[in-house]
Amino acid sequence: MRPAERAMGKLTARRGERILAWLTLLALAASTVMSLAVAPPDAEQGNVQRLMYVHVPSAWLAYLAFAVVFVASIAYLKSGKSRWDRLGAASAEIGVLFTALAIVLGSLWGKPVWGTWWTWDPRLTTTAILLLIYLGYLAVRRLSDNPRRRGRWAAVVGIVGFADVPIVQLSVTWWRSLHQGPTIRVLGQSTIAPIMLATLLVAVAAFTVLYLYLMAVRLRVGRLEERAMAEALSPRLGQPVEALMGDGEGALSQREPEPEVTPRA
Amino acid sequence: MFPRTTDAATLPAAVEPARAGTPAIALSRVTRVFGVIPAVVRVDFTVEPGETVLIRGPNGAGKSTLLRIVATALSPTYGEGHVQGFDLLRGREGIRRRTELLGHRTRLYEDLTASENLRFACAMHDISAAGVPEALEHVGLADVTGERVRGFSQGMRQRLAVARALLRRPPLLLLDEPYAGLDGEAKDIVDGAILEARTAGRTVVLATHDLSRGGLASRTVFMDGGRIVPDPLREGRP
Amino acid sequence: MILLRQAAAVAGKDLRVEVRGRYALGAVLPFAATLLVVFGLSLGPGRTLLRQTAPGLLWLAVLFAGVLASRRAYETEAEDGAMEGLLLAPVDKAAVFLGKAAGVAVQLVVLEAVVVAMVSALFDLPVTGSVGTLAGAFLLGTVGLAAVGALFGALDVSARAREAVFPLLVLPLATPVLVAGVKATALAIDGRGASSWLGLLVAFDLVVLAAGTLVYEHLLED
Repeated sequence: MRPAERAMGKLTARRGERILAWLTLLALAASTVMSLAVAPPDAEQGNVQRLMYVHVPSAWLAYLAFAVVFVASIAYLKSGKSRWDRLGAASAEIGVLFTALAIVLGSLWGKPVWGTWWTWDPRLTTTAILLLIYLGYLAVRRLSDNPRRRGRWAAVVGIVGFADVPIVQLSVTWWRSLHQGPTIRVLGQSTIAPIMLATLLVAVAAFTVLYLYLMAVRLRVGRLEERAMAEALSPRLGQPVEALMGDGEGALSQREPEPEVTPRA
Repeated sequence: MFPRTTDAATLPAAVEPARAGTPAIALSRVTRVFGVIPAVVRVDFTVEPGETVLIRGPNGAGKSTLLRIVATALSPTYGEGHVQGFDLLRGREGIRRRTELLGHRTRLYEDLTASENLRFACAMHDISAAGVPEALEHVGLADVTGERVRGFSQGMRQRLAVARALLRRPPLLLLDEPYAGLDGEAKDIVDGAILEARTAGRTVVLATHDLSRGGLASRTVFMDGGRIVPDPLREGRP
Repeated sequence: MILLRQAAAVAGKDLRVEVRGRYALGAVLPFAATLLVVFGLSLGPGRTLLRQTAPGLLWLAVLFAGVLASRRAYETEAEDGAMEGLLLAPVDKAAVFLGKAAGVAVQLVVLEAVVVAMVSALFDLPVTGSVGTLAGAFLLGTVGLAAVGALFGALDVSARAREAVFPLLVLPLATPVLVAGVKATALAIDGRGASSWLGLLVAFDLVVLAAGTLVYEHLLED
């Protein structure tokens, strides 16, 4: 876990955040130029197909963010360190935005192509269910103001939710395949032109950088929240604020139970 | 209605004793907050095996929270400790096997009978249910063995909880305001359990602000505002 | 094996409490019945449409009943703080999870038998056809639903707003149960097999039971 923690530390330091901000700006600018100007319109769908360059990256991030929630949840339950809980919460808040965005964009794309807003396309439907699971995760965080309970409960939702998503995807795909209807076909033609693929990859990279930037900001806010809490506690406990930051001396380590020793007769 | 101490020996042996040579309880700078409200603040608390310790203090002093931390019902926000030789955070199962908490919440199932409640507790603690009828007799509930708890008074419920503790015979017995809402006879039964534990050499910690009880203790500790404070009556005297 | 023994004790305790309290029988079953009647009213009285939608409505009723039954399974723990008793016992918390899930599953299966009979009558659905597939769908689906309910029902019994959060958690996660259950039921009524859907249910059940077994204790600790 150490190298991961160090990387996270670097990323979220003030300088790291500024660099990410600039990178994000550049990447999004490049992506916009490529999506709107460089890539050609689709043979069948025309310019509407350009929505792919925002819809697909959004969807990619929706799932990536949830994978981060999953990993953070496991790390939190194993180590008890609050930084993993903060990571999971941040990724969930950002992920839910990308998920909603992916669904809205998918709908917008679908309307001119299929004539309706929603056709229960398996991938969009799974994404919609992912959105609900995200909302459940965030709702659970509101159930308790005890940070450790909140973190654990959310972690359970994150883990079970993530494990469930592939099965949901499978079930919805089978469900859908019985009634063939319009599906999101990412592109009109059967193979993707190299320039379109390049544009798509740039878009995905740009959105990923955006995600990292948003994460850096949100994690900094999370640390500020923790500091505010420590400052509220400090006078009541008669302890300096620094001693109350981080996990204090009460860090949990659920995974290493001491072996029970039965005394020899 | 007192459980006779000689009879205690006939109850089935329940739990293996703690590791030798360690304090029964050793807490170091334990702090517990709820939100931003501290309930227990930097408490150092040590109890040797076999002691009977009384904790006194006004409402809200943190006695309940402290006991619940020792019982591992709560984890400390800061600080560390060992109970029966097991770490407060990492050795919870070991602590739970050796500790019984008697509080004013009786943890019973309303629609089960007295006997069924005890049997279930035995199953959860992995001890034999053979001693259930005898335990019920000890606390004077033999004639309501088959009655559902829903109809019980507070006194009867607490007696049932005492029976549960007697069955388990834990090396560490924690009592958190056990006398609340009880009549004199039921209070005596609780004291009987404390006496039985003390006689058997087990450790007892009792928190109560009922001034008429607690005479069995060998030592008194005072709490106020979440901290352990010196005896307010003895301050200034040699 | 001690884990199974303790899980059986928990399940037995829950079922005994249920038999005496008669909540599932007295409240959940009437609720499911009401749902079906209301569904029928909102979609009928045309027989064709009712017959087509029957499997879906049947499983919707089962899903809602599952939410109620799972919640109830934890209300009995809340009454005298019994949940803390389970926490403080050195019992493997996975046994508590499995026991609770088993208790809910048994109640649901009994309820389903009644509900299937009702649907058969109300929606004019001959429930002949492939009985094995039908039974398989209900049993497997119930296990998965009960597992999800038993897992999230443990969220602090006194937490505020638990009422709204619990269905929000259970229903999306139980989507595979709904989809596979409905499809398998429809196929079974037609006299066909539905082995792939049943296989999906098995996979779902295994994932939820395994994950629940591993994480359940974290829901109980404070």
